[in-house]
Amino acid sequence: MILARVDGHAVSSIGHPSLIGQTIVLCTPIDEAGVSVGNPFAAVDTMGAGRHAHVFITTDGSWTQGTVHDDHSPIRNQIVGIVD
Amino acid sequence: MKPGKVIGTVTLGVRDPAFHGGRWVVISPMGADQLSAENPSHVSSAWSLVAYDNLGAGVGDAVLYVEGAEATQPFDHPLPLDAITVALLDSHQFSPPTE
Repeated sequence: MILARVDGHAVSSIGHPSLIGQTIVLCTPIDEAGVSVGNPFAAVDTMGAGRHAHVFITTDGSWTQGTVHDDHSPIRNQIVGIVD
Repeated sequence: MKPGKVIGTVTLGVRDPAFHGGRWVVISPMGADQLSAENPSHVSSAWSLVAYDNLGAGVGDAVLYVEGAEATQPFDHPLPLDAITVALLDSHQFSPPTE
């Protein structure tokens, strides 16, 4: 699990079929104080996290395959919680 | 999934038969500086990587790629693959809070 901040989003119309129609956000890993601690990565957002929201991300690919209903999806990162 | 910029292609003269139909692109990982800039001409200092591409990514395109075991998920046969492009980006926006 990764604690991260939503810093942007990406739009794609050509990609793996499981990714089309998903909301893709660009996130920066943060520490407990909210300070950036790593390089940005992309994640699927099914929860509607707003800009600069602190989120909880799973890197469990098999969980995300269930979310996108595709057993052949290569997607790993997915927002599974929004931090209060 | 990580954001990256396609900076080149690789053509194989001899290849494992499992790789039928694939093409290869060289990707420079995009860090916060590259994602924030409107027209980043520079590449990040991170190591570039070669990824399998079946989306038709061209040099200069921003893509999302996946590394590791998940890279082989789209295939129904075993493939010695470490990285694959999963999306061509039409647009992206990135603006970390100013600290």
